[in-house]
Amino acid sequence: MAVTFASRSTGDVSVGMGQATVIEAPGRLRAILGSCVAVALHHPGLRVGGLAHVVLPKSNGQSGLPGKFADTAVPHLVALMKAAGAAPPRVVAKITGGANMFGHTGPLQIGDKNVEAVLEALASCGIRVVAKDVGGSSGRRVTFSPATGELAVESVGQAPQVL
Amino acid sequence: MIELSSPECPPLESLRHLCVRATESASSAMCRWTGTRIHLGLDEIHEVPLENVCTELEIGDDLLTMVVVQSITDMGAEIILMFNEASSRRLAKCLLGRLPDGCADWDELERSALAETGNILACAYLNVISELIGADLLPSPPVLIRDYGASVVQQALMAQAMECDRVLISRTTFQQEDEQLDWNVLFIPTDVTRRRIEGTVCGNP
Repeated sequence: MAVTFASRSTGDVSVGMGQATVIEAPGRLRAILGSCVAVALHHPGLRVGGLAHVVLPKSNGQSGLPGKFADTAVPHLVALMKAAGAAPPRVVAKITGGANMFGHTGPLQIGDKNVEAVLEALASCGIRVVAKDVGGSSGRRVTFSPATGELAVESVGQAPQVL
Repeated sequence: MIELSSPECPPLESLRHLCVRATESASSAMCRWTGTRIHLGLDEIHEVPLENVCTELEIGDDLLTMVVVQSITDMGAEIILMFNEASSRRLAKCLLGRLPDGCADWDELERSALAETGNILACAYLNVISELIGADLLPSPPVLIRDYGASVVQQALMAQAMECDRVLISRTTFQQEDEQLDWNVLFIPTDVTRRRIEGTVCGNP
């Protein structure tokens, strides 16, 4: 798959399920999460940042949206960052999401598996995780600012936090 | 009488007919439960790309009250009854015969009344689907959630997302007497259930 630097947006860009986007400051990336996981990559020196909205842990050989599966989304996002001139080792990751929205166990409680798979994929790509806020049973509204690397997380019934 | 099984009928249109039947049954159940004339009208069947689902259905980061019921058999599905804050409070007070008191927290009786509403609606809906496709869709206990609409829909779509990048959702709206209510019901079948429904409506169960 060809990898190109996605955007030089100056406003907020919404990252839907299965999407992965890289932008430069002053734009910001936004997503709403339930059991999905947001992977935010940031290069502090270049003020470039990317966000993948990961839906499921493993692709098992399936093709599909580049950000859909943890094992394909992370390498894809790293490639997008490289195309924007931001390569490891200075690139760092913050992750959030992976909730269990329905509050009980069952075959579709996939949040924990998503978190696990994302951490594994980041380790494989040599990306250091510097902050995370995962799990629980509430949705999250997240805003990522490549200018500062801050990942703002809002969750119902909890004080907003900045990772 | 709607003919569900027709080789000439496009799958989405046939599926719409099937959901109309389920919606009619859910309407009757809601009238009995609330003691008022409530009509549920099927808006449309959406088949949309996964990444655009919340945008196309205009489900964003509004804080909603939702009751989620899952089918816990091999024929999986999710039914989500969604209300905005004001509508859910009005319904709870109406069911309990109380006047709105402006209290921010739900008490146990209100939570129970809303959960039971979702339960009654989902059972009526799933019973009709079960009957029409000849397979059991057995409802789980209802779960009451107050959260971002998109967060809940996202998890409900997981089973379809495992199989494809386009997802199918049926959305129904409500009318009480002549007033449009800000309530929605989403029916989200798993891929297995979706294929079974499509097979049935296309005359190939």
